[in-house]
Amino acid sequence: MPNGTHILGTFDHALHSLRNNVLMMASLAERNLANATKGLFERDDELSNVVIADDEEIDLLEIQVDREGVELLLRFQPVASDLRQVVTAMKASVNIERIADQSVNIARRARKLSAQPELSSVRSLEPMFAKASRMFADAIKAYADDNAALARELKPRDRELDEMNRQFAEACTERMAEEPHLIQPYLNLIFIARFVERIGDHATNLGEDVVFSVAAEEIRHTQGAPPSA
Amino acid sequence: MEPSTASAASPTESAEPRADFLKVTQFNFHYGKKQALFDVNLDIPQRQVTAFIGPSGCGKSTLLRNFNRMNDLIDGVRHEGNITINGHSIFDPKIEIIALRRSIGMVFQKSNPFPKSIYENIVYSLRIAGQNNRRVLDETVERSLQGAALWEEVKDRLHDSALSLSGGQMQRLCIARAIANRPEVLLMDEPCSALDPIATAKVEELIHELKKEFTIVIVTHNMQQATRCSDLTAFFYLGKLIEFDRTQKIFSNPAQKQTEDYITGRFG
Repeated sequence: MPNGTHILGTFDHALHSLRNNVLMMASLAERNLANATKGLFERDDELSNVVIADDEEIDLLEIQVDREGVELLLRFQPVASDLRQVVTAMKASVNIERIADQSVNIARRARKLSAQPELSSVRSLEPMFAKASRMFADAIKAYADDNAALARELKPRDRELDEMNRQFAEACTERMAEEPHLIQPYLNLIFIARFVERIGDHATNLGEDVVFSVAAEEIRHTQGAPPSA
Repeated sequence: MEPSTASAASPTESAEPRADFLKVTQFNFHYGKKQALFDVNLDIPQRQVTAFIGPSGCGKSTLLRNFNRMNDLIDGVRHEGNITINGHSIFDPKIEIIALRRSIGMVFQKSNPFPKSIYENIVYSLRIAGQNNRRVLDETVERSLQGAALWEEVKDRLHDSALSLSGGQMQRLCIARAIANRPEVLLMDEPCSALDPIATAKVEELIHELKKEFTIVIVTHNMQQATRCSDLTAFFYLGKLIEFDRTQKIFSNPAQKQTEDYITGRFG
């Protein structure tokens, strides 16, 4: 991606502000995910409540990024890498907002779980949380550094996360058959695993958009497609 | 240079548009001691719109004005290389320059109607060629004004002065005049730079219609106009053709850094 500054300094300023707001959203969403994780594993309802309350500032930033993006398109009519950067910022904000929503979903289920005795299975979710949160952090690092190579790594990692989710759901289903009186808490765990798996999907989407922005290459929906020349 | 994804039509299939209708080969052009174009190779396809973009002084207008040999009118110019239209060299000594210019219409930045009636502006070149048959002239006027999307606006005042028209109407009159001779190629040198957005939109819509019949080359400083109007874009810089490709490719992911720097407005 070209790194020279624009003759029109106001465009550089607007683009910089747009990217900064995306990165601000990302850091808030990372904090919310960390709090949701802690709220679940430490059975801390206070933290879960904070996650739900803090979601609003991310929603507001999403609206701000949309507004700035549209204004930037309107005022500067960017092309080539500039256009890809603006489009990617606007799409990134959608994925980050959805990751934040998944943290809220996790926090809500965590509050339900903490009202009942702890299930031992909850601990087997830890590797999934660790993996999803590393994927999100790397997606944001790839975005911040225009690092297409790091962004490309997310897709195979997402497939591993999908497989972990499948195995976890299978294990929970078996436990539900053995402990039918705990069906509801196990269902909550299955939902939480599903939310974590969705975080991986959104991180992967972010990575795909970074590849588009940096390398002008479309890597979405390419599973099974022949490699591009 | 050929656009990377343009399909190559066989010259023998006359019904198919020709991929190298205007062909520029190893073309160098000098104004006295100053060289304005360097080794330009370019295949412009038939019945498509090709935009020339680049900073002032990059050679785009110089190349455009070579297509109908308008540069011959300047003292001390010389060229090397060749330009062909539909396979025929425009520098062939046997070619009649008047006939060449009749087959290549040109529209300029500033509309330049003759101080005559709307009707006489359009039939001017036909009269010069000795055509005075009223029926032929009437038909030409109607066809040309229809083609330039001006007929409905002026059909009731064809004998009013062309200078009474608005700026946008004058420019479309010049387009009507340029297509009156049924040229093969239409050259447009910044045709909308002096027009308001409504008149610009009308001319751009007209370009879209005209390409069904004519091969159009347009020089423009307006990136959005090039994006909207053209099928192919050629980027020139310091007299060299830097990149030539589908317009969509040039404005979404150009191959050359110089092109990217120019269209995104970066310091080179």
